[in-house]
Amino acid sequence: MSSEAKASPSVSVANPPLSSSMTRYRVMVEKELLELVRSFKLLWVPLVFILLGIMQPVSTYYMPAILEHAGSLPDGTVIDIPLPQAAEVLAQTLQQFGTLGILVLVLVCMGTVSGERNSGAASLILVKPVSLLSYVGSKWTAMLMLAWGSLAAGYLASWYYTGLLIGAVPLNKVIGSLLIYGLWLSFVVTTAILFSSLLRSPAAAAFSSLVSSIVLSLLAGLFPKALGWSPGALSGFASQAVATGISDSGEFSLAILVVFIGMIAAVCAAAGALRRSSAVE
Amino acid sequence: MTTLLQVKGLSKSFGAVKAVSDIDFTIKEGHCVALLGPNGAGKTTTIRMITGLLKQTSGEMEFQGAAESGHHRSLIGYLPQSPSFYSWMTGTEYLVYAGRLCGLSAATAKLRTKALLERVGISGAAKRRIGSYSGGMKQRLGLAQALVHQPKLLVMDEPVSALDPLGRKEVLELLRELKQETTVLFSTHVLHDAEALCDDVIIIRNGQIALQGAIDRIREDHRKPTIELQVEQDEHSQRWMTSFSRRIQSLLNKKDEGALFQDIQLQNGIARFTVREMDAARRMLMEELAHEQVKVSRLEVGHTSLEDLFMKVVTG
Amino acid sequence: MKESIDLSQILPIIAPIIVIQLILMVIALVLCAKAERTRGPKWVWVLIIIFVNIFGPIAFFIAGRRTDG
Repeated sequence: MSSEAKASPSVSVANPPLSSSMTRYRVMVEKELLELVRSFKLLWVPLVFILLGIMQPVSTYYMPAILEHAGSLPDGTVIDIPLPQAAEVLAQTLQQFGTLGILVLVLVCMGTVSGERNSGAASLILVKPVSLLSYVGSKWTAMLMLAWGSLAAGYLASWYYTGLLIGAVPLNKVIGSLLIYGLWLSFVVTTAILFSSLLRSPAAAAFSSLVSSIVLSLLAGLFPKALGWSPGALSGFASQAVATGISDSGEFSLAILVVFIGMIAAVCAAAGALRRSSAVE
Repeated sequence: MTTLLQVKGLSKSFGAVKAVSDIDFTIKEGHCVALLGPNGAGKTTTIRMITGLLKQTSGEMEFQGAAESGHHRSLIGYLPQSPSFYSWMTGTEYLVYAGRLCGLSAATAKLRTKALLERVGISGAAKRRIGSYSGGMKQRLGLAQALVHQPKLLVMDEPVSALDPLGRKEVLELLRELKQETTVLFSTHVLHDAEALCDDVIIIRNGQIALQGAIDRIREDHRKPTIELQVEQDEHSQRWMTSFSRRIQSLLNKKDEGALFQDIQLQNGIARFTVREMDAARRMLMEELAHEQVKVSRLEVGHTSLEDLFMKVVTG
Repeated sequence: MKESIDLSQILPIIAPIIVIQLILMVIALVLCAKAERTRGPKWVWVLIIIFVNIFGPIAFFIAGRRTDG
């Protein structure tokens, strides 16, 4: 901004001290968390994940009995579905999170930025001496907290039930796959926030981020060799981590690097998009 | 008196459309300045550029004092036309939040919040969700959040346009107090509001400044004597009125500098002459009226008002 | 036929599922009752929340309320 450059001769004055921008960022994160509490999102999203997590082992365990009682089978049919391995059940839980869980998270994130821009609430905040990066960053932080909290609650519930009904899985394997899967969810949430900054319509933002996450994981599933480094491969790595162990650690560390760079780039791009068109309302 | 804000050659285009082109003005510290113009003249665009919400296509803005405190955004308090808040927050929470974003400590922000809520008259609703506020209460809250960090310049976009007459009166009263304490810039399309509050006025039209200066001086400079004439409804007088105004009109069209009359407007049977020389024009008119035996019902000598000037500048 | 499902055995296992669903339903119903404006008629939402398992409350949380600043 030419006015700023003109008005402030020295660089140190133009940028407010780091500590004060950190305080502002913290205040904004607190506000986002308060919003999550007031809108009950911090309650119902984890509950949905816990529900998904419990249902997987329970339905696996009772599947033979349920089929038997459905009554559509001719008499005398012997149902013999072997109980899957405990680790497989957890991998299936992750698949549930990958569909319904991601759907819920993306729908929760879809209006974070565009909603405030459309209502005009953003313009009142953005005229204050706050940076766009901390504005977007605070929303991103709060949403990641929601995603990680929900994932951890749901996955640990699933682990507990699996242990109860099917068999024990070592906790360190569970934690490992939880961390890997959390990165994949973080990436999806980040793209949802990016699209929410780029697009005015929340529905369009949700659609775009859902499609991009589906495409990423489909491609990674179709070409595991060529695209082992892509963020879409992370959910596969998470399942491997709990079931068999990760086979290709080189690809795996590359994927983690890519996902971190991708998230940072997406947050910066979201702030940049707001800077270019911050004519809000 | 020092200059607080100097705007030089400020322009903004949206694609091929020039919303604001090459605006220059200065705002002196302690003054109250109105940005006056019809809807679509570029007022909001100008205000948004000053607040930094919109980046100008070209031009510069210099804030005095920005060098000391860093960011010029911290010098500005902004109230948009219809402010929207987080409806799930209470009034107190929002003000504290706004204060903390402006760099106040939690304790200072709380103190200011309490004082400001009192000041704008919504302390009774301080603990209620903003979602339940009326339009006038939101406008007051908007004013409070603009003032929370004690800005040097209070910028408002049509602060009273959306309010009902009562709310309008109350907010204007509040602004009258506030302008004693800080420099104020606000946009309006109502001349009356500008006249009631401001020292300086900037009239813009089609994205350009049509006229600017101290409101008293403008009033003096553009004050011209006028004669208003109304005649009875009888046929003879009416016919004379029509032919006389047509005659004056044709004289006007010749652009004769020496002519007595400068302008004539015929509205609802009342002719309004803007004259160069009152005595000569009055004598001429009286003689004409007597000679033609016109039945005059009203003849009034006066001056052009700011309203006339505004209409002329804006439509002319 | 093999042994039938023993309800007393299942109940402690599926009780948490039912409880969580009930919590979701109650939160959604409370929010629906408190909401000033909903997208579509309120009684339809109440029916959806009560009768559509899990997804009814979720749908209400995401799309049911109209909020303006």
